[in-house]
Amino acid sequence: MNRRIRSLGIAFIVLYTVLFAQLNRVQFVQAEAYRTNAANIRPLLREFGQERGDILTADGVVVASSVPVDDGQVDFRRVYPTGDRYAHVVGFQSFNQGAFGLEREFNDRLAGAAFEQQFESVKDLFRDRDTTGTIVMTLRDDIQQAAVAALGERNGSVVALDPRTGEVLAMWTYPSFDPNRLSGLDGAAVNEAYRSLLDDPDDPLLAKSFREVFFPGSTFKLVTAAAALDTTSIGPESPVFPTTDVYEPLPSGSPIRNFGNSTCGGDLREVLRVSCNTAFAEIGAEWVGPDAMVRTAENFGFNSTPPLDIPNAVASRFPTDYGAYLADLDVYRGDHDADPEAPSILPNGGTPIHENSAILAQASIGQNDVKATPLQMALVAAAIANEGLIMAPHVVSEVRAADGSSYEEFGPSLWRVAISPTSADVLREAMINVAENGTARRMQVDGLVVGGKTGTAQLGSDPPNSHAWVVGFAGPPDGPPEIAVAVIVEAQPGASEQTGGSVAAPIAQAVIRAAFGIDAPAEPG
Amino acid sequence: MTAVGARRGGVRPEIAARRPRRVELGLIVLIAIIVMAAYGLASLGTSASVPGNLGPFLAWMLGLFFFVHVAVRRLAPAADPVLLPMALLLNGIGYVMIARLGGDVAGGSDLAGLQSVWTAVGIGGFVSTLLLVPRVRSLAQYQYLLGLGGIGLLALPLLPVGVEINGARIWVSIGPVNFQPGEFAKIALALFFAAYLVDAGELIKNRLELRDLVPIAAAWGASVGVMVLERDLGSSMLVFAMFVVLMWVATARTMFLGLGAALFAAGGFVAFRLFAHVERRIDSWLDPWADPRDSGFQIIQATFSMAEGGLAGTGLGRGDPDRVPFAETDFIFAAIGEELGLAGTTAILMAFLILIGSGLRIALRATRPFEKLLAVGLTTLLGIQAFIIMAGVVRLIPLTGITLPFVSYGGSALVSNYVVLALLMRMSHEQRTTGDAEAPR
Repeated sequence: MNRRIRSLGIAFIVLYTVLFAQLNRVQFVQAEAYRTNAANIRPLLREFGQERGDILTADGVVVASSVPVDDGQVDFRRVYPTGDRYAHVVGFQSFNQGAFGLEREFNDRLAGAAFEQQFESVKDLFRDRDTTGTIVMTLRDDIQQAAVAALGERNGSVVALDPRTGEVLAMWTYPSFDPNRLSGLDGAAVNEAYRSLLDDPDDPLLAKSFREVFFPGSTFKLVTAAAALDTTSIGPESPVFPTTDVYEPLPSGSPIRNFGNSTCGGDLREVLRVSCNTAFAEIGAEWVGPDAMVRTAENFGFNSTPPLDIPNAVASRFPTDYGAYLADLDVYRGDHDADPEAPSILPNGGTPIHENSAILAQASIGQNDVKATPLQMALVAAAIANEGLIMAPHVVSEVRAADGSSYEEFGPSLWRVAISPTSADVLREAMINVAENGTARRMQVDGLVVGGKTGTAQLGSDPPNSHAWVVGFAGPPDGPPEIAVAVIVEAQPGASEQTGGSVAAPIAQAVIRAAFGIDAPAEPG
Repeated sequence: MTAVGARRGGVRPEIAARRPRRVELGLIVLIAIIVMAAYGLASLGTSASVPGNLGPFLAWMLGLFFFVHVAVRRLAPAADPVLLPMALLLNGIGYVMIARLGGDVAGGSDLAGLQSVWTAVGIGGFVSTLLLVPRVRSLAQYQYLLGLGGIGLLALPLLPVGVEINGARIWVSIGPVNFQPGEFAKIALALFFAAYLVDAGELIKNRLELRDLVPIAAAWGASVGVMVLERDLGSSMLVFAMFVVLMWVATARTMFLGLGAALFAAGGFVAFRLFAHVERRIDSWLDPWADPRDSGFQIIQATFSMAEGGLAGTGLGRGDPDRVPFAETDFIFAAIGEELGLAGTTAILMAFLILIGSGLRIALRATRPFEKLLAVGLTTLLGIQAFIIMAGVVRLIPLTGITLPFVSYGGSALVSNYVVLALLMRMSHEQRTTGDAEAPR
């Protein structure tokens, strides 16, 4: 009998050894895979089980914070005291829907889980120390509020940034949403709210300021002008472009006309002031040419995703394919049978004409397949305001520890060299001229130097409606510009070149006023 | 009797008794410190404060430990010194986990409060058993009474007094008292099987006839009956496994192991085809991910819980083990895995192996077949039950809802396991004092 009892003992040892092996598999070998399994909500519960730091504006307004709750599953929930005002920047932290915006990008910092935060806390293991991080944004609540008020209940976006540093000062899209509805603990209500936001045709969840692209219209002429100054012999006062009402593209294509079939022409300053389509189509297609236009647009940031510190920013687009090379410009301009070896008869020589140079003519005035985010157009203005340099746009300036010391600071860094300082200078002067004497007059603020460029991107003619744009900058008379702005008001009725100036420019003006603390003059009467 | 055994048996009982008790006291002190520290840490982990009732808790626990140790000194002074400390360790860790799962270690949840009462009742049962059973072999004379009683207890939940909870009809409610008679039935059946097989086993060893297969067929029938009528997979598996092991040990016929396995597989397969709840268990064992929100939910949550623990665990009170359903009972092993890690689960494993080793050593040293078989039966009950539930939780075998001995919440289980422990210790004491022992080889 004893022999069998010993065998039984060995059998038990074998059984328990197999159990031990399986335990090792679950708790060690495959543990990491189980921990990160999508069905595992423990990481989420852990996040909700601990306090997160606040998110503040640059002027100290709390836009997100944790409050303790009495709930079976979690200990804290997120509240957003400013409601929808920062929803597209800050995002939200939702138990059911996950985290978005800064709440996602800075999740570890807010929760105090980043390495430095944890590492520091090892020293005082036995002290009840708050390791959460406070996120300080570059956005200023006074400017943001001005943007919200000025845009009102019109679909559109406002982006303002400091051209010298890339700090975003305001970023607003209407319609927005109330993140408090998504951070609640009633799962069914949150899912319902999320669904209704998804179903809304105006898509309030989408941060259109950096996640949606629009036809930039005439504001894009700034890029074309920059390319002309940087890569051709065109200067601010010469040559003089012919006064005409139509541009016939080469080698063929539908003619390009001015707004209301008007005629215009003149030097670069003048055609920019009156936003002359025919002149800019000619500049892009016949002076700059495909290579330099694409290069300049890409130097301004088109066709690449801006390094914004909020997830999911999208790239603006400028077409790059113009078909095969046909012949140099002078072959078309002169006699088609002319001797190809003969010297060019045009000041710029032989700009190459491609199969689709007509597309380039349209793209040069911001039509065809050119599409830009409001953030990108603000960066175009910022480059001109900042001697041709585009600083990396960012919305977070600092991560602060609970005791007020700084874990991490995000200073200015260069993203792109768009154009030469000289060209930037010329363009800046030209834009100031537009704001003083041209279409962007309603951006003007007394006591500041303001430059601007309007745009009206036609969407359709029945009924006529268009995006109203303005981009620009402002600064004190004795210093460089301190703010660059882009405003778009979507799908406005009408299609005149005045739309951008009349609809969008006052919004930019309100934002500039708020930035410099200049009150609007009292209405007469 | 060998020379060594004779010499050991010749030592005066009072002197022989002191050594194991001193060892036991040392182990109990160590375990008291471990359980105390665990309780304090669990409190700190959940609420970051030292519990206000730490004093009363300590007094209660130390009182129970001291009481049971003194009782053993008086009633079974020569008994094996590690059995009781291992049971107290498992009981103590289980209690801390249950209190911690209640969410408020300091205040003590309802379950924790009840479990401390059940621990006292269990220790009462342990001491009473030692007191009332001075000689285990005297129980053999009641074998048919025990056999009938065991079957009766098993069948009791099927009477109108039975209550169905969570799909299994294993509870009996008489007046204010609720209990699981199956927990006691298994002890009665172990005694019955041991007594029955003393003679029958010897017969079958010498000549095997067809009618000798009647008992195993009957046991199989009863076990399938329990599985079908009460939907209690775990107990059915446990009792049948114990019977097959005893048949094998008593008769030396390995065919019983094969026959038992074949019968069990056949019964299991029929149940799988016929009963939805069995099919669900098997399906969620084979592929819990097929239905992660329903039938696979428990096992997936248990896996996440144990994976969360990793090697060293999240720390007591720092994990989130209440995500797993039935964390206080069937899944307490997962809760331990989460907060104490692989280190903790391995410690539980080792504690059970030590219990099994001590139990089998008692079987080896016993001279009479009845005690041998009883020690094997009781040890097998403990060892297999612990294995079934731990292996079920880690998805080594299909999950069956039974308790982890000494650790899980539950009065009936705790009392019956302490009675099992008392019987083993009684036999151990007898071996060391009366000279009724074989020298362990």
